[in-house]
Amino acid sequence: MFRKFRNWYFSALAIVIAAGISTTYAQGDALFKAKCSSCHQPHKNGTGPKLFQVRQKWTDGGAKDGSIYQWVNNWQTAAANDPYAQTVSTWSPTAMQAFPELKKEEIDAILDWVDAQPEPGAAGAAGAADGASGDGAAMDAMGTEEEESSNGWVWILMGVVFATIIMAVSGVRRQLKIASAEDAGEDTDEGKTYLEEFKTWAWKYRKYVGMASLVIVIGVIVSLFLSLYSIGVVEGYQPSQPIAFPHAIHTGTNGIDCKYCHNSVTKSKSAGLPTVNVCMNCHKQVNGRTPEQQAQISKIYDAAGWNPEGAGKYTGKVKPIIWNKVHVLPDHVYFNHSQHVVVGGVDCKQCHGDMTKQVEAVKVQTVAELNKIEGNIPLTKPTLTMGWCIECHGEKEISTGSIADTKKDGYYQEIHRRLLNNDKKLYSKYLKDGKVTVSELGGWECAKCHY
Amino acid sequence: MKIKFTALASLAVLAVSTLMLGSCTADADSPGLEYMPDMYRSPAIEAYVDYGEVRGRENMAMKLRMSALVPPAGTVPYYGTDSSLVQLMLPYFRKATISFRETHGLYGADLTASDDYALAVADMNPLKLTAENSEALLKSGKELYTAMCQHCHGEKGDGNGPMVVSGAYAGVPNYTERAALSDGQIFYSIYYGKNAMGSHASLLNKKEIWTLVHYVRKFQNASYGTFDANGLSAAVVADTTMKSKK
Repeated sequence: MFRKFRNWYFSALAIVIAAGISTTYAQGDALFKAKCSSCHQPHKNGTGPKLFQVRQKWTDGGAKDGSIYQWVNNWQTAAANDPYAQTVSTWSPTAMQAFPELKKEEIDAILDWVDAQPEPGAAGAAGAADGASGDGAAMDAMGTEEEESSNGWVWILMGVVFATIIMAVSGVRRQLKIASAEDAGEDTDEGKTYLEEFKTWAWKYRKYVGMASLVIVIGVIVSLFLSLYSIGVVEGYQPSQPIAFPHAIHTGTNGIDCKYCHNSVTKSKSAGLPTVNVCMNCHKQVNGRTPEQQAQISKIYDAAGWNPEGAGKYTGKVKPIIWNKVHVLPDHVYFNHSQHVVVGGVDCKQCHGDMTKQVEAVKVQTVAELNKIEGNIPLTKPTLTMGWCIECHGEKEISTGSIADTKKDGYYQEIHRRLLNNDKKLYSKYLKDGKVTVSELGGWECAKCHY
Repeated sequence: MKIKFTALASLAVLAVSTLMLGSCTADADSPGLEYMPDMYRSPAIEAYVDYGEVRGRENMAMKLRMSALVPPAGTVPYYGTDSSLVQLMLPYFRKATISFRETHGLYGADLTASDDYALAVADMNPLKLTAENSEALLKSGKELYTAMCQHCHGEKGDGNGPMVVSGAYAGVPNYTERAALSDGQIFYSIYYGKNAMGSHASLLNKKEIWTLVHYVRKFQNASYGTFDANGLSAAVVADTTMKSKK
């Protein structure tokens, strides 16, 4: 009986041990993620130091045997018993949580798992290359832009050279003409100036000259008027920024909502630029994969007064970042973000474009680019002009979804209800195009936007 | 012959002048031509405008001055006359621990030597969930969560947000398993930050944080915020039945 039991006991024990060995890795993984990962990473210092080969580090540092296990169970006991643990406790002002429930084997399982993790250089190479190619695209775009602007000067220079050649050739022609006339013994018109010569020539061909000058005058007037249309049009304005901030990575790859950084957009007139503490909510840990990214992110660290060495700490010496405002409206125009975003339910992309694809610095999107975006109301006038605003006010329906849905008690549902109850004739007039637009509720009144 | 000549010359002049006009706006750093530029920098104060130059006069004191400023110390925003809302919005009485200066950059904040995080266990959520307000409160909680938390903590609160999935960020705990955290401690962590997470006091007001506290409870308990016909909280009922079973 006892023997049978013993056999059973041993075989059970064997199974447990075998299972234990094969599951150590998985157990370490699970335990690390559950207990340690909010502060520690295998290869990177965070709230806690990196844990890769930490046992070796402790042994090399002269820690007492088993001191590290004591540390995990309760760091204060370990610090009291072991001078090395004492020095470790000064690494960061944040004290480590005590884990008295972790057994020695479990701690070993965790640290075995950590030591088996590859250096992120290999795993992150694809991501880094990805980022690099994105940066490359941005650089390329900047390069072509520079070429374009320098092209203008090349053209002007060429024009000047061209004009000089024409003048020189005509001068030579004139001299030759005089010389040949003198040779023939004819009366030379040397006394005549260019102007007089031009006058005789123009009189001779007055029909053609008259027609040509009419065409030129009309052309100049038309182009003058056309160029007046570009005054106050800021489409394509893309000021350089102190930090090459890629919206595509932040809101595209990493899925951060626009409202997280531009957090006053739902409460205030202006959408707001994030203060550096908002950047630091992520960038305390995220410090860039490529040297270019690291250089940009270190500017945030300078601004926030963050010293990333070791555990990292704030020094308290802050320095503001001077961003350049991109979407500038003329003054005496009242534009309220919260009114449009919260009440009107307008998506950011209607006016600012698809930020998940904006790799370079932010620019004022042209209306053609905005129209390409799915869900946008197509408009024709240039972005950020008054025509553009009122065009949208004439198009935008003030409430989406079923108007008859009385359960929704939003502000505009109430307006629909009142129109339906009080002035059905007016309401049906509004509804001729199937919707009540902003302009029908006074969105085209001057005082709505001008004060 | 001569006609051709003049036509060519005038064409060249026209081409050069249009190119010169065009080059004024080709620079991406230039916003283009302005009509009455004084209207852009009028004396009426607007946010994010450099007031270093108003109506042609340079003002060195204002030049490149920070336009986003911290409110004067000790000021309390006005929230109307609803006493419960005013009570809710009064400054948070718990203070950050002194070490938060170095770990979370809270240099200007009023700090304490004691561990207020541990004391926050006792704090109750001043926004009471009732059968009437629970749907609206949890809906606004969801909106706030989507904008403010989801990119790290994930749609379900399991710590698998898009930032973690993309590999940019690591170490976001799974809060669906941490039902033991008290409301007060969740509030404290959002307000002052905890470990790698920074302070969100500048992003969210107290009402919004307490709304979020309600919303994240739902990750741990699906019946949180649902009420039976008698107006009793289903979550509380479930709790008591579980306790009676034990």
